[in-house]
Amino acid sequence: MSSRPKVVLLRPATRGEPQRDAAPEATPRREGLLVALARALEAGRHGLGWENVADLWSAAYFSWHSEDVDEFGRDARFIETIRPLLEFLYTVWWRVEPAGVENVPAEGPALVVANHSGVLPWDGVMITLALRHEHPARRECRMLVLDMFALLPFLAPTLARSGAVRASQENGERLLRQGELVGVFPEGVKGVGKRYRDRYKLARFGRGGFVRLALRTSAPIVPCAVVGAEEIHPVLAKADWVGRPFGLPYFPITPSFPLLGPLGVVPLPTKWSIDFSDPIPTAGYGPEAAEDPILVNRLSEQVRSVIQRMIDGRLARRRSVWFG
Amino acid sequence: MGRIALTGTASLLGGRLLRRLAETKGPDRLLVVDVAPPPAALAVRHRAVDLTAPAADQRLLDVLREEQVESVLHFAFFTSPRRDTVHTHELESIGTLAVLAAAAAAGVGRVVMRSFTAVYGARGQNPAFLTEDRPLQPDPATAWARDKLEAEQHAASFSRRYPDLKVAVLRFAPLIGPGVHTFYTRILDRRVVPLLMGYDPLVQMLHPDDALGAAEAAVDRPVAGPFNVVPLRPIPLLTALHLAGKIPLPVPHPLAYPAVDLMWAAGVGEAPGRFCDYVRFPFVADGERARRELGFSARHASRDALLAYIGYRHPQARARAAEAPA
Repeated sequence: MSSRPKVVLLRPATRGEPQRDAAPEATPRREGLLVALARALEAGRHGLGWENVADLWSAAYFSWHSEDVDEFGRDARFIETIRPLLEFLYTVWWRVEPAGVENVPAEGPALVVANHSGVLPWDGVMITLALRHEHPARRECRMLVLDMFALLPFLAPTLARSGAVRASQENGERLLRQGELVGVFPEGVKGVGKRYRDRYKLARFGRGGFVRLALRTSAPIVPCAVVGAEEIHPVLAKADWVGRPFGLPYFPITPSFPLLGPLGVVPLPTKWSIDFSDPIPTAGYGPEAAEDPILVNRLSEQVRSVIQRMIDGRLARRRSVWFG
Repeated sequence: MGRIALTGTASLLGGRLLRRLAETKGPDRLLVVDVAPPPAALAVRHRAVDLTAPAADQRLLDVLREEQVESVLHFAFFTSPRRDTVHTHELESIGTLAVLAAAAAAGVGRVVMRSFTAVYGARGQNPAFLTEDRPLQPDPATAWARDKLEAEQHAASFSRRYPDLKVAVLRFAPLIGPGVHTFYTRILDRRVVPLLMGYDPLVQMLHPDDALGAAEAAVDRPVAGPFNVVPLRPIPLLTALHLAGKIPLPVPHPLAYPAVDLMWAAGVGEAPGRFCDYVRFPFVADGERARRELGFSARHASRDALLAYIGYRHPQARARAAEAPA
């Protein structure tokens, strides 16, 4: 099998078409940054006032943030702002190769369940992009993120603006009841912070919270396997005591972090694949099945083995970490 | 038909509710139970009762009986934190106890009590929308929230012990809008507004008109239990500040808590340091129950409430915003 680097060109995402239940699509910009700058300079000839500074700052802010967000804090214009960077990562940096995207239902609630890896939640971002660009219905996947990311200064507001939601039963249920597509990583911290030597070995799937979520809302479960993200930050060792005072559950030591400082957060350009398997229907069990721990555990194991099988299949076919 | 008694008519919400009820129900059906008399123009009966006095419940019971009161609207709460925590505690916690005890003893059918969504406590673990069955977990070190929490606990306990007493608790989101003067608006009136670096929680700002609508709906419906009264949509804090034309000053949070505490102790701050939690973590509440049982849904989003406040307080800033092409 030839392992040639493959660049996947993206179809344009929905533009202008408001998402269902999303905030009113970005209100038109009040005025451009340059106009505000010119105004400030004009006013500045008679002494720059507080108002000009505030106006300028506000114009700069609203040139890449919306004035209105949806009820979970998703900001349509912010997503538009960071789109070029994310698309660069998707097409050029990681050359993501999605497969089976059509297994995700075209409408209605569904729960995408994926393996978690890569120290930072880049896998969630790439799953969102794969569904936004490659799915026939251009579905917007709302990722449920770990507390440690959803509460971390700077990262937390960025994630919220780009459509992620803090992982909790209440939030997931609310989104699914609104008919949204929701993505979860049941491995949680155990998955995203695992050591390099444990790569592609799925950790325990929490306590089956995602299955209960799907059962209660009758949402089908779509198992999803991400291959390539394990190698973007190879965690050689963990120095958890360093991170603890800062509220971090782990502190990874990779070949480039913390050795190279800020450069260490640049992920390695591996080749990614994202596989979606056939959906597992849950509607037949009824919402009260969520209280049956044996069934919940059985479904959880079933999803886990499907994902592990997809990963193993990919790994067996993979020749190179960098070129797939 | 019995009278409607109001406490806390000197507050914005209590005062506006008094005026509105004087129009809709007629001044004869109203009774102001407060230390301060209501405006003479309203021609509403007034009985002076100090809820912080030792035998306030006995005095209130006599008043409720003499005036044949059928429902009590209890709005005597402080929105802004106060340095006199002893008096606040006497009024809010012990005063509510007196109101509930007197209402139960006088056979008053219902009590509508004012509360705050901030009583849920701002926590990182909060769901995106707090529902009424969520346990109230405010920071126990904050006297402001502790007194409100105790008042809520008294209300729950009286509802349990006196099934005939229908106690509706309205948990209002922070009020922002024309006429509002609280520590929120005093902070918002500054040109440079400090906030915590790296944190940008969603906040709710409730227009006073919506708050009044919910209070009115609760007066007429025999509902009991807690109800969140919230605006249509929350708004990120930073977006709100930029919309208001403020210069945000990000402060690292390990520095902010002691600095705010120090300012509070020095007498120049607006709130104790623990209040930084409210701009660090979300405490956004869900208004579904009020919509279902109270028939109330807000007409303004947080953004509308904020812009209405800016237009009221800083008309010139509004004019500048209007100048810019929409």
